[in-house]
Amino acid sequence: MTFDENTLRSVIEEVLKEMGAGQSTPAAAPAASTIPAAGKLTVTEDGEARKGSAADEVVIGLAPAFGTKQTKTIVDLPHDKVLREIIAGIEEEGLKWRVIKVYRTSDVSFIAHDAAEYSGSGIGIGIQSKGTTVIHQKDLPPLSNLELFSQAPLIDLDTYRKIGKNAAKYAKGEAPTPVPTKNDQMARPTYQALSALLHIKETELVDNNKKPQAVSVSFQ
Amino acid sequence: MDQELLMKQIVEQVMAAMKTGTSAPAAPAACCGDKVTAANYPLAESMADKIKTPTGKDFTSLSYEKVINGELTADDMRIAPETLEMQAQVAESVHREAFAGNLRRAAELIAVPDERLLEIYNALRPYRSTKEELLEIANELDGKYGAKTAATLVREAAEVYEKRGRLKKF
Amino acid sequence: MKSKRFEVLAARPVNQDGYVQEWPEVGLIAMNSPFDPKPSIKIENGVITELDGKTRAEFDMLDTFIADHAIRLENAEKAMAMDSLEIARMIVDINVSRKEVLDITLSLTPAKLTEVVGKLTIVEIMMGMTKMRARMMPANQCHVTNVRDNPVQIAADAAEAAVRGFAEMETTVAVARYAPFNAMALFVGAQTGRPGIMTQCALEEATELMLGMRGFTTYAETISVYGTEPVFMDGDDTPYSKAFLASCYASRGLKMRFTSGTGSEVQMGYAEGKSMLYLEARCLAVTKGAGVQGTQNGSVSCIGVPAGVPGGIRAVAAENLIAMLLDLESTTSNDQTFTHSDLRRVARTVPQLFSGTDYICSGYSATPNYDNMFAGSNWDAEDYDDWTIIQRDMKIDGGLQPVREEDVLKARNKAARALQGMFRELGLPEITDAEVEAATYANGSNDMPQRNVNEDLKAIEDMMARKVTGVDFVKALDRAGFPDVAHNVYNMLRQKVAGDYLHTASIFDKDFHVLSAVNVPNEYHGPMTGYQISEERWNELKNIPNAIRPEDI
Repeated sequence: MTFDENTLRSVIEEVLKEMGAGQSTPAAAPAASTIPAAGKLTVTEDGEARKGSAADEVVIGLAPAFGTKQTKTIVDLPHDKVLREIIAGIEEEGLKWRVIKVYRTSDVSFIAHDAAEYSGSGIGIGIQSKGTTVIHQKDLPPLSNLELFSQAPLIDLDTYRKIGKNAAKYAKGEAPTPVPTKNDQMARPTYQALSALLHIKETELVDNNKKPQAVSVSFQ
Repeated sequence: MDQELLMKQIVEQVMAAMKTGTSAPAAPAACCGDKVTAANYPLAESMADKIKTPTGKDFTSLSYEKVINGELTADDMRIAPETLEMQAQVAESVHREAFAGNLRRAAELIAVPDERLLEIYNALRPYRSTKEELLEIANELDGKYGAKTAATLVREAAEVYEKRGRLKKF
Repeated sequence: MKSKRFEVLAARPVNQDGYVQEWPEVGLIAMNSPFDPKPSIKIENGVITELDGKTRAEFDMLDTFIADHAIRLENAEKAMAMDSLEIARMIVDINVSRKEVLDITLSLTPAKLTEVVGKLTIVEIMMGMTKMRARMMPANQCHVTNVRDNPVQIAADAAEAAVRGFAEMETTVAVARYAPFNAMALFVGAQTGRPGIMTQCALEEATELMLGMRGFTTYAETISVYGTEPVFMDGDDTPYSKAFLASCYASRGLKMRFTSGTGSEVQMGYAEGKSMLYLEARCLAVTKGAGVQGTQNGSVSCIGVPAGVPGGIRAVAAENLIAMLLDLESTTSNDQTFTHSDLRRVARTVPQLFSGTDYICSGYSATPNYDNMFAGSNWDAEDYDDWTIIQRDMKIDGGLQPVREEDVLKARNKAARALQGMFRELGLPEITDAEVEAATYANGSNDMPQRNVNEDLKAIEDMMARKVTGVDFVKALDRAGFPDVAHNVYNMLRQKVAGDYLHTASIFDKDFHVLSAVNVPNEYHGPMTGYQISEERWNELKNIPNAIRPEDI
């Protein structure tokens, strides 16, 4: 795999611009590429999320930039497809889903834990814009997890569907076999620097005092 | 590792330290007001007869057989406050004051049960506790367990968390 | 026309790595950043009122903790007034002792420490490491994990790693709930291979402490600290909670060290525009202030970040040296994969391997890299012979020795059988003879039969509810007919009562004698001093099985 220089360049430029530090670089950055590039996903916030009580729901917690400021994962999977797969996985198990956006942190474990706390079943899924995903349960310590998919470049759409499915199974009180973990030691040398940049960008949207927001999602 | 050679070197070093050292190696420290030093280290070898378990058993009386026949339990395989104090003195004798401080704070926490200790640790994590809750923990450490330095650390944390907005929010 | 030479170069592994230009404004710079604070200190009535250009009113949480706990005050104003270049020169001067250097460096602020090591070339950093590391002789640590969390394979790999010479072993999990099995398998495997090896399981902090309390592990390392306050919060801790946690470990007779590394802050999104090395110096000050005996540092899992910027690998060596300048046990990473290039990965390890550190790797993967659940290591089981032959080439002691296949197979088999027996006696899911056989000869988890994961996870939950402890391992191993392994496990548990191994840079030899910076301190002061490889050890190191013996011809 080669490093995608153009992606890197556009990320750097965008971040610079957002930071107001970019005295140069007016160039490239295909501007407010956000929503159009995602194509069909619209993420609308409807005020503060409520804590659920329905035991048959799984809450999906999105990181601050998911589907808005960033629209695809580190390996260019469009966010709408990712979310659709997770939701499909949950629905296949006959459960309901709800989406919230977490602003107080960009850390995926905390996002997943917040989702779990807001979920009537106590099971939540947290997902960062770059694609890193965690299945969480509200009674576990925040930095622990039921299942962790730490290597975002290795997560494909099929895995996202399995993540949704397994989360739903936990919510039903089942003990599913964990989704097989993939491990590629060469992901770090290829992606770590890019991953840092994407995460910086996500973290810029963190608002420590903002509670999780209810989100309605539509796919057109 | 070349263990034999190392052992030789250690024995030589310990012997040399004993010769030049002021404390009588036969009945060193702790009991008699003298400080334990690096010359007494490792304590399991040089001062085994001065070490006890928190359950009051002599370190030298511990044995494999007693574990097998059930005479010893997991509660016996723990460190006692007096032993940590001796280790803190060893640390000081080699100029590791911060580390010695940690060992002394640890000595105070031996009495706190495992579950409670985990709870207190979790309560000290960011956004977990109100200031009042932290101050209550400090009082508990101080009052119930005599853990004065640990209590001071928790009080310090309460002040700093308040100033930095890291107390419980939602 | 395209150059054929450039085409060849473009296809080289080194060009598959990611690189970025420096970007000091967001902290994407290894060291010597123009935005790093200027060193300063002001002390009034025994309280630090100014630290590295900030007044007390401007302190964040880390500044407050560092000012109140991390700096030796008595000598501080004098030490801070010294020219950084002069201190840098003292570090490499063999006529200035380690202790004399510490008398200065223990009173320095993070910005000053950063400035001092910033004056050193990579070779001078290595000279500094040789003199400043805490323990006389170097040692090594390994990772023992696999992608399926197969406990039988962990036990066998641990036993083999023990025969090869590692003094410490670390495991972690693919699935967090497997942790107790991984920890038990590592403990039993290590004690089968060589008595006295310390073992740990890297987990969420509270869970890791709980396993230690119950005697599943004998030390802990993954107690992360970070160089900026927001990242510390995302790590779900504060300097105060971490200092408290440090005391929790010692109160249970468990050795522990903190972990930190350059690049974590920028990786986690909040570098506050400071260099990676300056932020790491703050981590190390927090470590010192918490009263912890040592650190695992050297970028660790963030190595891709410093490795992507200019001078990054020099900064990684410099951060190891700062740890040593704070008299901390130095466990020097060299663990995680950061490059496709074999040349780069060797060059990255040269400073620590050639100078010798308390633990050169933390750790070396004792499995093939596909099984390394720390996302790959810089060194793995398939490099064992490279490592021992580099030791032989350079006459250095990197903590490992060449081994014979029959010894390794014997150890692997025994460890697998011991675990099989222990599982049976503890009423845990069966380990079959086929699994023992596979583990004996396996290279990695691809060679292992699959276990019933759900059954294992249920058994673990039940075992933890039954309050099984390390003492039960001893009894079970004894009943299963492995009294020698049981004795070794017992002896490790017994060490927790005495606490000798809580001290800086401790390891055990095979007779459970502790070797630490207290009884075997590093006293290097020039050629033919400090650790010298003995004749016996050299014979071990140099006798690789595949060298032709002149007398055979």
